Amino acid sequence: MLKLGFRSVLAHRLRFVLCTVAVLLGIGFVSGAMVFSDTLSAALKKNFAAATADITVTPLSPLSGTPNRPPTLSSDVANRIAAVPGVAATDGQLLVPDIEILAKDGRPIDTYSLATFGASWPHDDRTAPFKLVAGSAPWGTEQLTLDRNTADREGYELGQKVKVVTPVRAVTATLTGFTTPGRSGTSAGAPLVSFDGASAQLLLLGEPGWTSIAVALQPGQNPDAVSRAIQTAIGDTVQVRTAAQVSADGESALDDTFGGLTAALLLFAGLALFVGTFLIVNTFAMVVAQRSRELALLRAVGASRGQVTRTVLAEALVIGVVGSTLGLLLGIGVAGLIQYLYQRLDLAIPSATLQVSAATIIASYVLGVGITAAAAYPAARRAGKLPPVVALRADTTVPERSLLVRILLGGFLLLMAVLMFLIALTANGLPAAILVGLATALILLGLVMTLPVLSRYAVRALMSPLGRQAPIVLGRRNAERNPRRTAATASALMISLALVSGLVTIAASAKASVDRGIADAIGTSELVVTGDGGRPFSTAVGDRLANVPGISAVHRVRQSAGEVGDQRVTLAGVSDRTLDGPITVEVTNGELGSLAQGQVALPRNLANQLELAVGKTFDLTTTTGKHRLTVGAIIEPNHQLDAVVTSLPRFTELGGGQIDATLYLEVADGTDLATARQAVLGAIQDYPSVAVRDQQAYAAAERGPINGVLGVVGALLGFAVLIALLGIVNTLALGVVERTREIGLLRAIGMDRPQLRRMLQVEAVAIAVFGAVLGLLVGVLAGVAVQHVMVDDGLSVLDVPVLQLVGAVVIAAAVGVLAAIWPSQRAARLDVLRAIATE
Amino acid sequence: MTAPPVQQAAAITTFGLGRSYGSGPTRIDALADVSVEFGQGRFTAIMGPSGSGKSTLLHCLAGLDRPTSGQVLLGDVDLTRLDEKALTHLRRDRIGFVFQAFNLVPTLTALENITLPLDLANRKPDQAWLDVVVQTVGLKDRLHHKPAELSGGQQQRVACARALVSRPHVVFADEPTGNLDSRASADVLGFLHRSVREFGQTVVMVTHDPTAAAYADRVLFLADGRLHEELADPTAESVLDTMKRLDSSSAQAG
Repeated sequence: MLKLGFRSVLAHRLRFVLCTVAVLLGIGFVSGAMVFSDTLSAALKKNFAAATADITVTPLSPLSGTPNRPPTLSSDVANRIAAVPGVAATDGQLLVPDIEILAKDGRPIDTYSLATFGASWPHDDRTAPFKLVAGSAPWGTEQLTLDRNTADREGYELGQKVKVVTPVRAVTATLTGFTTPGRSGTSAGAPLVSFDGASAQLLLLGEPGWTSIAVALQPGQNPDAVSRAIQTAIGDTVQVRTAAQVSADGESALDDTFGGLTAALLLFAGLALFVGTFLIVNTFAMVVAQRSRELALLRAVGASRGQVTRTVLAEALVIGVVGSTLGLLLGIGVAGLIQYLYQRLDLAIPSATLQVSAATIIASYVLGVGITAAAAYPAARRAGKLPPVVALRADTTVPERSLLVRILLGGFLLLMAVLMFLIALTANGLPAAILVGLATALILLGLVMTLPVLSRYAVRALMSPLGRQAPIVLGRRNAERNPRRTAATASALMISLALVSGLVTIAASAKASVDRGIADAIGTSELVVTGDGGRPFSTAVGDRLANVPGISAVHRVRQSAGEVGDQRVTLAGVSDRTLDGPITVEVTNGELGSLAQGQVALPRNLANQLELAVGKTFDLTTTTGKHRLTVGAIIEPNHQLDAVVTSLPRFTELGGGQIDATLYLEVADGTDLATARQAVLGAIQDYPSVAVRDQQAYAAAERGPINGVLGVVGALLGFAVLIALLGIVNTLALGVVERTREIGLLRAIGMDRPQLRRMLQVEAVAIAVFGAVLGLLVGVLAGVAVQHVMVDDGLSVLDVPVLQLVGAVVIAAAVGVLAAIWPSQRAARLDVLRAIATE
Repeated sequence: MTAPPVQQAAAITTFGLGRSYGSGPTRIDALADVSVEFGQGRFTAIMGPSGSGKSTLLHCLAGLDRPTSGQVLLGDVDLTRLDEKALTHLRRDRIGFVFQAFNLVPTLTALENITLPLDLANRKPDQAWLDVVVQTVGLKDRLHHKPAELSGGQQQRVACARALVSRPHVVFADEPTGNLDSRASADVLGFLHRSVREFGQTVVMVTHDPTAAAYADRVLFLADGRLHEELADPTAESVLDTMKRLDSSSAQAG
């Protein structure tokens, strides 16, 4: 049976190329994602293995996440650990993120979103996380070292002055040495600045303390036993981990950094496989319908049902194996390309040779072959059920099966979806948005089921403006004549466009909401000061700005992380009078004056979520432990203050760091805004990563990340269009083969080639526009619903980007025209006499 | 034979028409040196054993196939000089077709099938003529049915109506009754016959059925790609006799 299947594939090469391409694209993205993440984690493993002390002791934060001010341990803890039996030496170490190294031109160096660390110089070679490769160790606040990669890239040489900005202050010091991470000397890791221990505490932390204590063991000691002893000696305020545990944790943390890329690749893979499945289902349904006589002949000469089914499945198997193999190769290529691009960018990402694991290979084949076989199975089963008499019948068309089951099942799903939708609309917040997403998925599923019924009417309605010329009527009827096929082909486009238009609507609403939120929230302050990438900055910035002529007031907002129950919240500290005007706050309930008494204000949506009201108390966990707070006011959701709001002194009491997140500046009357901005920039020019923007520029900067999302959506659309193109080409090409005789007849009685092309174009455009319009409607509906339920959670304004959506439909129509090119060339080349004679 | 002299102008004339396939030693002459006239307003049948070239002749006359030598004049147009597009438009505007099977576009109704050549040419059908044609084929109440809902005989009558509706120069019929029972055959042939008698239509039909050929004014017999004999005012018996004679002579020759 496999032999028959293989022969059939060879005999119908053309139609199977398209199926194979569909499998190939899907598997390519799956394996690409897997190879890339394996390669990355292999590289990271190498670094961590090289950089860890025998045992590492870190303070246990009451918070699960990473707050922007690292918790620390005192030297006293280090001394107590040193006294534990089996410990040879301890070394207090400091490692602080959010450092900026300035290039020679005064701009912060580009780290491609990797964190830059500041560290204390290690005392003990046995536990050093990095080592000196040239020059000498730094001493005092006037000396520092850089990692070799960064120094080389920026052209810094020993003895030169280097400027760095820490969360505490800006520092200029002499470069005395180059470092590389770990003992093995592999080039890798994030940019790193180091100072000697005491200077590091002063410059990086602003107070005494270590972020970790590295422990070296006496020879022959069991790390696990000693680590338990340390835990017992110090208590449960610290986390004690062996080298192996640190490696594992570090890997997963760094994996997260590149998780986004892997997720994007997997999203494309999912889309490709999903659409590919439709394409394969379609093809096999057509193949079986076309070959029904041949298959029935097999039955007539004695093949069993199972054998006929297996003949068809064997073809799917061949496609699956070929597609998966090519896809795997494509994936390795894609991963290699990404790695190459990163290296071309000179990005300091750890490098390793491409890792093609057994899991990747197995997943590629299992998915590729499995999906192909599953997609071909319904057709294969139908083939097996063909009665042998079909072989003897003159008329070879298989009657269309009834659509009743589909209508009932699809209708049921649609009904469920509508109910879910209604339920979701009565609720709000993220859970409701997720419910909307689920309901949308159900709607799409229900539509896929009922699409064949809809397609007849929809195609007619959509295509009627094109007129009643013969080729147009014929093309339209062709799109209507096989509703299942039209529906399946259109489904692919529908799903892609639903996804795209939903995301576009949400993103556009988010943009509009940011604009409105900022315009509403920012009152009298004309300039907003923020750190690059939302990083907090030294309070020295605000201190200086207070003395700049033309600036009448500086209002500070600080932020840190906290938890209420298991819900993560942001804690914001605001300076006096900030809420009186610079930030516009609408009070729903209570008094803002209560902040001065140590009470807090909550936005209405957060209060609802936490079920809190004015006068109630709740427990907030911060880096310094649990604190009982009283709600003094409920405010309307505010773009600038989506947080538990406190006064600055209270913020400090709650463990918030002395680092500013945002400054709101008021410009003195009579001072021109541009002049004031210039003066501000001049005052803080040694903090190059601190940006000063007026409201519009600030809003534009806040919208920036959404543009990134829109970029991904654009790529998604492009990819969806490509795959939809494949699907439509496939359907048309198969239609041309199937209707060879009809085309011959049309040519004989006088249809010329342009008319033939028009006929196929109309069919393709009908399918494409039908799928696109339906997808658009569903997507926009979902987008609007998500905005509706998230109105208090960042999506206050609805914006349906009509122009882009109309553009998407136009693109879909263009895809139809494009898709018809190749099949109509084939059709035009058909020899009329042979076409008429075709069985 | 008392063949009357051809008084009318010829609808189609061929000169030394030849059609061969392949080249060198594998060359096959499907048609060789066929020179013949088809009178205007006449019903001509072409007969011959299979492989005699009768279908090839019809295809060459109708502009579906290109002869390798000789000329085909449709009225005063030389078909062999036309390019693909001109040929297509000539088929659309000046020729009607009835094939043996699969004559109709399944997605169109009977009426839409009938007017298809006119629609392709973007011409409005002449309503009076359309009514006459529809009346003649007797399909008034089936006009809005799809081909799948019509019997084989009805489908062939729709095809005949389509062939006539554009008032073509010639109607070509390729075994139009090959798939029909005798009653439906009689309907279709009677209709073709009437179109010649009543409307002055020129019809050229390929058939292997002596009864069908008897409806024609004249029968041409082909064998081995050559014009062998012709018979005027045929009856089923005279056709059958001629066929037998041809068979035995070709058997002797072979």
